[in-house]
Formats: sequence, structure tokens, C-alpha cells
Amino acid sequence: MREIRGLEAMQEALREEMSRDEKVFILGECVRMGSLGISAGLADKFGNNRVLDTNISECAIAGSCLGAALAGYRPIGDILCSDFFYIVADEMCNKAAKWRFRHGGKPKKLPIVYMSSIGGYVRSDAEHSQTLESIIMHCPGLKLVIPSTPYDAKGLLKTAIRDDNPVVYLYHKLLMPMKGKVPEEEYTIPFGVADIKREGKDVTVVATGYMVQMALDVANQLQEKGVSIEVIDPRTLEPLDIDTIVDSVRKTRRVVIVDEDTLRCGVTAEIAVQIMEKAFDELDAPIQRVAAANCPIPAGWFLEQYVLPYPKDIIVAIQRVLGRDVGPVEVKGPTSSLVELLEVGGIMKEKGK
Amino acid sequence: MKLNKGQKLKLYTNLVRCRKLDEMMRRALLSGKLPGHWTSPKGQEAVGVGASTFLRKDDYIFCSHRGHGITTFIPKGLSPGVFIAEHYSKATGGACGMAYFSVYDIDIGIPGIGTALGGDFVIAAGLGIGSKMEGKGKVVVCIQGDGTYGRGTFHEAALMAANWKLPIVWGVENNQYLISTHISEYYPKENMADLAFGYGIPGIVVDGQDVFAVCEAFQTAVERARVGQGASLIECKTYRIEPMCIGMADIRGTKVRSREEIEPWLKRDPIDLCRERLVKENILTQTDIERIDSEAQKEMEEAERFADESPPPDPQILKRALYTE
Repeated sequence: MREIRGLEAMQEALREEMSRDEKVFILGECVRMGSLGISAGLADKFGNNRVLDTNISECAIAGSCLGAALAGYRPIGDILCSDFFYIVADEMCNKAAKWRFRHGGKPKKLPIVYMSSIGGYVRSDAEHSQTLESIIMHCPGLKLVIPSTPYDAKGLLKTAIRDDNPVVYLYHKLLMPMKGKVPEEEYTIPFGVADIKREGKDVTVVATGYMVQMALDVANQLQEKGVSIEVIDPRTLEPLDIDTIVDSVRKTRRVVIVDEDTLRCGVTAEIAVQIMEKAFDELDAPIQRVAAANCPIPAGWFLEQYVLPYPKDIIVAIQRVLGRDVGPVEVKGPTSSLVELLEVGGIMKEKGK
Repeated sequence: MKLNKGQKLKLYTNLVRCRKLDEMMRRALLSGKLPGHWTSPKGQEAVGVGASTFLRKDDYIFCSHRGHGITTFIPKGLSPGVFIAEHYSKATGGACGMAYFSVYDIDIGIPGIGTALGGDFVIAAGLGIGSKMEGKGKVVVCIQGDGTYGRGTFHEAALMAANWKLPIVWGVENNQYLISTHISEYYPKENMADLAFGYGIPGIVVDGQDVFAVCEAFQTAVERARVGQGASLIECKTYRIEPMCIGMADIRGTKVRSREEIEPWLKRDPIDLCRERLVKENILTQTDIERIDSEAQKEMEEAERFADESPPPDPQILKRALYTE
């Protein structure tokens, strides 16, 4: 099977879905160029009427998506970074999420996709590095999708665009250059089906977004130490496939949850409690959580590593649930810069045409 | 637009219908039957009625918070029974009894209302995008109160509408009050219509007590939008006779609002003004006046009966309403 980057996978999904349904359009800041590269080339193929460059007006982007959906269209709102969810909280969380419910279920469908990049490790500072999953998961009425591989990125984005409800689609900045197997043939991935990214028998690691890759890197190293890690990627947090997670916990009896959002009130806490509610008696050790420290994300690379999760943090958590030291393990953390990512985007922009 | 006799009569009839519904809701509140609150639109009816009576069925409309939209929605075609039933939390309500004061009926151009004020500007912009893409000449009329124009969402939406020549008419229902703050303390100029200047769109000031003037201004802007000439902003000067909500303290700043301030506006009641003019123009006779009045009264009584007799919503709706399957 061919290997393509996450960025290309998402570009393909947009191209295919816009070809499939003329009601689909995208709007956002510089979407014709593709600020992060994902929507690059769409304007050439579909014209300026379906690829709309806006002002720096996040509220108008997010709110007009709801209006356009009410008018029968299927808008994709490009909210560049999930950090901006705080700007559009009214439009996304009060309006789009609740509109159907507040009106008694009368609006037949509200097909909206809010796309946003998430994540740090690229020195983008406290207002461009957050992984704001928890506030979306907290808000009833928004589906929440977080792919971790190019394959999932494409299949889940296609499903998101075809869904008749508001969907928040979060892609990690480091997913864009990541290469992975993606079939040429058409496929979609259903929501609410977790993916067992790696089978194991000693510890279950539940991870989202880029943390899946980090957990897999750790798992591969620990295999050499005789520790068998199962890595589960929920892929969608709403709906959440808790059953697959609990089944794995029943098997391994030990669980570590890894997420890039802030630890306090984060997704890790929600998943941990759901496991406790369903399978407390199956646990041989207290659940361990790995997430960003309870402070803003500094842009300085030296300090950033003390705030965001790194492989060593996952290893410490695994040792805690195992109740033993596994000995010295070296797993390289992510190294990248925004410029590198944008360069990848630039190459892809050429290919996108 | 030159209004003919029949159109003038229709505007008058709609004013009377809205007033009767307002009176009914007020009675329901004061008798303890209405369990929430009521923001009476009394004295401001000409704005919504003038703007919405002659819209196309497929044009979209958003309303100010006054009267929870009756002055725009009833002329647009919403059944008063559906409106009352929603307030009584009945299954037949405009949001199936879920929303108290929001109603939704996209088939007659009512997309629903947001209740954290100012959110509707950007939703209106999106309906404008859809209408423009569709190319069927649909227009979005977005009326909001003067206080709501303080939201930054207006700027974002107005800029978007101006840039893309979206078919939208922004209406300011300027009743001079933001809860208890007078407009002289939250707007630095004489006319809010001046906001239009920055977006390069027409900004029009109209007497909000004169339903014919309001209607003509909106129809002109609507027709302009319909043929692709873009957005306009119309400021309707009116006045809030009642406190923010019925029963709430009537305060301006920190003191009780004076009768001297209110009196002149009571003399400019939009229904009285409309009636006097139609009588003068020999369009309306005393018999017509009584007939329109009693028909509206009967309509609202029947509407209330419909609401009274409707069942409450099935609690299962809480599970069904969130997502479309």
C-alpha cells in the first residue's frame, strides 16, 4: 500500500468530499492558500465560491457555519488552532452544539465540521499550542474526532463531512508530516469505534492524537524489556467507545491514560472515571494519567519540555502501574519546528495542485 | 415601494394581532399561568411588523428580544398557538416545548433564535452565504436591539456581509434601553445607522413608530439585497414603554424612570398612529376597526386554547433532540 503524509491524507479527504457533494464548502482565514496547507489547491479545483477566505473573524467563521447549515449547506469552518475555541465558544458551544436540541430537534440536520490544529512541540506558544479537547468533550452536542495516523485522518474526516451533526475535527500539527499507509480506494471510518493500535497483555495505554504515536514508540522500546503494552486510540471522544477500553483493561488489569490537554479536568480524568465505574474490581493498580502540566504552554523549547507530555513521563506511569522499575529506556521525544511543518505544507501545496 | 390599500390594512391588522398576543401573554404572566418572564414589545410593534409582513415566505428573519419575536414571527406566518404553546412547554410549541421562548420553523424562514444576545448576527451571515450560493433571491433580515449592537459579532458579520455582498438587511430596533442603561451612555453618536458607514453599505434612519415608513425602508433594502446589491442597515427609532421584563423594576441608571420621559412616547403609539392615518385616508372605517379588533382577540383566545389543550412533550425528546441519527 502507498504511504502518504497526514497532510496529504486530509487534502485528499477534502477534495474527495467536495467532489462528491456540491453542498460542501470551506471557509476560514486564507483557506485558498491553506494556512497550514490542508485546504491548499481546493480553490483551483472548486473555485472561489466554495473556498472562502475570511477576515480574522473566528466568530463569523464559526457562526456562519451554523447559518449555512440551516440554509441546507455543509460548511467546513477552518478554525486554525484549537486555542481559538475560546474565541468562538458561543458560536460552537452555545449555538451550533445546542441549536437542534434547543429547538426541540426540529432542525433536521446541522452538518458542520469545525477543523482545528492541536498540539505543541513546535514552539508556537500558549495561544497556539493547546489541545482543547476537554472543553469540547464537556459540551453536549458536538462530536469530537482526533485522528492519530494518516489513515485515520482521511477516513475520519470523510465521515465527519458526511455526518449530519456538528463535528469538531482536531488534527495534531505533527500529524501533518507523519507518513502512513493510506489506500487509494475509497473508505470511511465510523465514529465511536476505538482502534487497538498495538496489542499487548501487561498494560493498557489509552492515548489520543499525537500521544498515540508517543505511546507506540514507548511500547516498542519496552517490548525489548519484556513489557507488553496494548495501545488503544479512541479516535473519537464523542462518541466514546469505552467498551473497547474496558475490555482491554479486563485483560491487562493495568491502565495508563495519555493526553496532551491539561491534566486538571482533562480527558484523562473522564476516561479514568468511566473505567473506574465500569471495571474498578478488574484493576490491579491505581490508574495513572499523563497529560500537560497544569500551567500554560511556554513557547521556549527548553521550558516547553517541562509542561507537555514526553515519553519519559509515559514510562514513569507504566512503571507505577507495574509496580516495578523496568530499567533504563531511551525514547526520543518529538523534535520539530513550525517552520519545518510549514515547509512540508509548502511541498504539499504544490502537489495539491 | 408604494403601499396600496390592502397592504396598509394588512400592516394595521398585524399590529393589532401582535398587541392582542402581547396582552394575552401579559395576562398569562400576571395570573401565574406563564411560568417564566415576558418582555413586552408594547409600543415597538411597528418595527417587526413593518419589516416582516411583506417578506417572501422563504426569506429568513431574526428578531430582537422584545416579545420573544412576536412582532416579526407572527407577520412572517407563525401561528400564535405554536408561540404560546412553546411558552407553556407543550409538545406543539415552536421548539416542541424545549425552549420556552425560541421557536423554529425553517419552512417559513424562522431559523430559530439564540438567546445569548448577539450570536444571531453571525448565523445570519451564514444564511446569507447559503442564500447567495443558492441563487434563488432569498434575503435575510436580522433585527436586533440597540444594546445587542454592542457585540463584536456584529462587526464580524457586517464585514463578512459587506465583503461578499450578502443579501442581508441589518435592523436596529432602537428602543433606547439596554436593560436599565440609557443609550446616551452606551452609544456616542445620534444615529446607530452611522455604523453602516464603515462597511460601505447604506445606513438609514426611520421613525420606528410609523409602520408604513418602516415597511417601505425594509422593502427597499430587501429588494436591493434580492438582486445582489448587498446589505443595508436600518435603524428604527422607537422606545421601550415597559421595564425590561414585566414586573421588573423600571430603572434608568440608578433611579426610577420618570413618567415625563415616557409620556410623549405613549402619545406616539404605533397602532394609534397607523389607525389615525388610515381613517384619515378613508381606508379604515369604525366598523373595520372593531372587526379587526374582535377577530384578533378571537384568534388569540383560540390560540391560547390550542396551547392549553396540547399535551406536554414526551421526556424522551431529551434523548432524541441532541443529534440527528
